[in-house]
Amino acid sequence: MSQAIVETRNLSLGFSRKKVIQDLSVVFAKGEWAVIAGRNGVGKSTLLRCLAGVLLPDAGTIIWAGEAGPNKIGFISDRLSLFEDWTVERAIAFHCRVFAVPEFDDRLLKRLNLSQKDKIKSLSAGERAILHLSLVLSQKPSLLLIDEVMHMLDPYLRDLFIEALIEIMAASQATVLTVNHTFSEIERIPERVLVMDRGRFAIDETTEALRQKMKKIVSRDPLPADLPCIFKKTDGIYKEYYIYPFREGLRTDRAVDFQDIALPEIIKAFIGGGYEQKRMA
Amino acid sequence: MNLTIDAKSPLPVYQQVIQAIKLDILSGGLRDGDLLPSIRDLAKLLKLNPNTVAKAYYALEAEGFSENRSGSGSRVKVPPGRQDSLRKAMLESEFRNFLEKAVSLGFSLEDVKQLTERIKKNEPSHR
Repeated sequence: MSQAIVETRNLSLGFSRKKVIQDLSVVFAKGEWAVIAGRNGVGKSTLLRCLAGVLLPDAGTIIWAGEAGPNKIGFISDRLSLFEDWTVERAIAFHCRVFAVPEFDDRLLKRLNLSQKDKIKSLSAGERAILHLSLVLSQKPSLLLIDEVMHMLDPYLRDLFIEALIEIMAASQATVLTVNHTFSEIERIPERVLVMDRGRFAIDETTEALRQKMKKIVSRDPLPADLPCIFKKTDGIYKEYYIYPFREGLRTDRAVDFQDIALPEIIKAFIGGGYEQKRMA
Repeated sequence: MNLTIDAKSPLPVYQQVIQAIKLDILSGGLRDGDLLPSIRDLAKLLKLNPNTVAKAYYALEAEGFSENRSGSGSRVKVPPGRQDSLRKAMLESEFRNFLEKAVSLGFSLEDVKQLTERIKKNEPSHR
């Protein structure tokens, strides 16, 4: 693997008696885009907060590369919280002071129909997300941590958001970690998919490998017992079976059609989406 | 340049980028010496990971379809004398995909042959 930007070793964290992250070790490389998927409450946001340095783990360590200093981590929380009564201008000045940003980059904000004199509370959810992105991009971050915010964006703002991320990756090899995005527009962008379950990663694969290893069978008949089924969904008389791990050897002399599954569908199955999980990954 | 990426295709994206650029070169859309878009611009245009585009560009360079003079970007190079064989290889690979699909739908090669004849004569293929 190429140079690490952030690494956790045996990370554990709980709130009162509930363990949220359990003995989790993972390395993220400089310049990669990874998507972290999982159901509600499996610890995705908590992990992002730890990686952002805003939550301290109960046990274990987090090691940031030198270039990922506190001012070089851009964190967008799903709460998108800013002081409601402040103007956009004041929020920008505040953020720039806290993160020692010499100059705010207003290119993204200029594409929105708003004034810096507007109050934060008058912004739509999408505008807030773009404002947050502008703020963290001004830090010239080497690590971007983005919680579930892209679903709040309309298609135009989503394009803006995605292009800005591609831009910073190309310009400075920033690492991008996003949570649960399932949009077809960007399904071929992340090169790595991690699925979180009960405080650790059940799956950690490159996107291409995951697409190779996960196939779908749509059939009226019960599934042959030797096929490794991970999800099942019943749709009228048809049943959908997700096969994982698939290997080419399973294809031989069966009248079974193994179909490719697009990444958003794979992620949807892991985060619920009406699928019955047959076994753990 | 006219490139499309099929998100549903089982082919890895970087290979699709390579194929699309080669096709554009072989069909004359891209000519010798033309500047390829920067990795950043192509990634933004096609909504791809810049690493994917970079991987495709390295491969094209390694295969002699482009040249990267430091600082001035990648320029198209049409490999001399290889155009005909490459065009044939491309036709063969497209045709192979088509035949595999036809066979999986239960048609025989003879059916395909007959269909080709009918199309050539401009006859309706079925009633």
